[in-house]
Amino acid sequence: MLTTESPLPDWIAARWPYAPRYAGVNGWRMHYVDEGEGDPVVLLHGNPTWGYLWREVIPPLLASGRRVIVPDMIGFGLSEKPTREQAHSLDGHAANLTALVRQLDLEDIALVCHDWGGPTGLSFAMNNPERLRALTVMSTWAWPTPAEFHTRMFPWRMMHAPLVGPYLLGDHKALVGRGLYLSVVGRERFRSHTQPVYEAMLPDTASRLPTWTWPRWIPLDENARAHDRFLWLEEKLAACKLPTAIIWGREDDVFDAATFAPKFKQLMPHAEGPHMVTGRHFLQEDSGSEIGAIIVDFLERVDAKEAAR
Amino acid sequence: MSAVTIVVEPDLAATRLEFALAEDRVGHYPEFRDFFVRAFDLDKVGLGRPGYVRASSGLTYALIFIGRSGEAFPSGLEIYAVVEALEPVDGDVLDTDIWAILNWMIAGIGPPWTLDDLGATGRLYQVPAAGCG
Repeated sequence: MLTTESPLPDWIAARWPYAPRYAGVNGWRMHYVDEGEGDPVVLLHGNPTWGYLWREVIPPLLASGRRVIVPDMIGFGLSEKPTREQAHSLDGHAANLTALVRQLDLEDIALVCHDWGGPTGLSFAMNNPERLRALTVMSTWAWPTPAEFHTRMFPWRMMHAPLVGPYLLGDHKALVGRGLYLSVVGRERFRSHTQPVYEAMLPDTASRLPTWTWPRWIPLDENARAHDRFLWLEEKLAACKLPTAIIWGREDDVFDAATFAPKFKQLMPHAEGPHMVTGRHFLQEDSGSEIGAIIVDFLERVDAKEAAR
Repeated sequence: MSAVTIVVEPDLAATRLEFALAEDRVGHYPEFRDFFVRAFDLDKVGLGRPGYVRASSGLTYALIFIGRSGEAFPSGLEIYAVVEALEPVDGDVLDTDIWAILNWMIAGIGPPWTLDDLGATGRLYQVPAAGCG
């Protein structure tokens, strides 16, 4: 469904000039952007961002003649925000994406994944490989072994502990506020210009629920809820031959570049990259246009290889 | 750090329970569930009555434990301030008391969970009750 009026306040809508569209997915109302014509590129954000994360990546893709689709995951951006933690499972988010793709009947998809957009989007991709054309991954993971960052008591395990999670991440917006700020390179500009946008989209404790419940799906041991899903994902990706690009932030201290980019390369030796850019975990905030140009170049190489066959 | 003590039977006359904090998954780390079971004898009490604690502000808090079919008890926990029935609660007092309750909980669980790490995490994210702001 396409609506003409933006539900965003004017000061955000001025920076996000895309028509809001909505689809019923898996019982929830999902917002997405669908712009341009051509082979579809689907851009997937993670926690606690929304499609806005891709604002500098979208224009180069549109200019290159691609159709760009940017969903807001359920619980984020302009999508419905369930107030029960049970609404936020990894498989559920993958099913939400699957429902959107099937409704739009997207084929030959170039899927671009960041953070939780990785396990979510790659689960969708490995379950629907016939709809995929190419993959791009950045600052994410797809195997059961957690990042060292996620095993540390300070701050990660402590901030997601029972009761501490809803207090810090809910009441005190630890991720959508300070956490985002700490995970970009250009912090002062981010604080004054961009952070208010993210905070406005998750304005209260209830709306910030997925910011502490979704990270708890990160498997920290083999008994974790999502351990087997990540094991499956790792096995599927190891057998995947889709053209793939790896893009990483040099300053990433969540999924550190020295560990995680090579791990993707080891898992998918045919992948190109890693293309290194300025950026911490939210690398699009520091290098959005450059990332857009890298994806455009990558997809043009995919086009050329397909045309040569 | 503000002291938090367990209260056995608070006077609830002319009071209401003001919602403060909810946790759906108290067993996300099982040692947290074990702590509450020990502190409030939940293996015997079950859903029979809330647990109560008093913070140094003087407010009493009801810890209402949640059961969910198929999961160990308690599966979740809600914290309510016991306040005068028709009076608003001071949000800053509530926040400081909740921080104190979190400290009491972490101290009760023990290593590898430490007050140092909780305090450092609170300061990193600029929580006023942790000594920031």
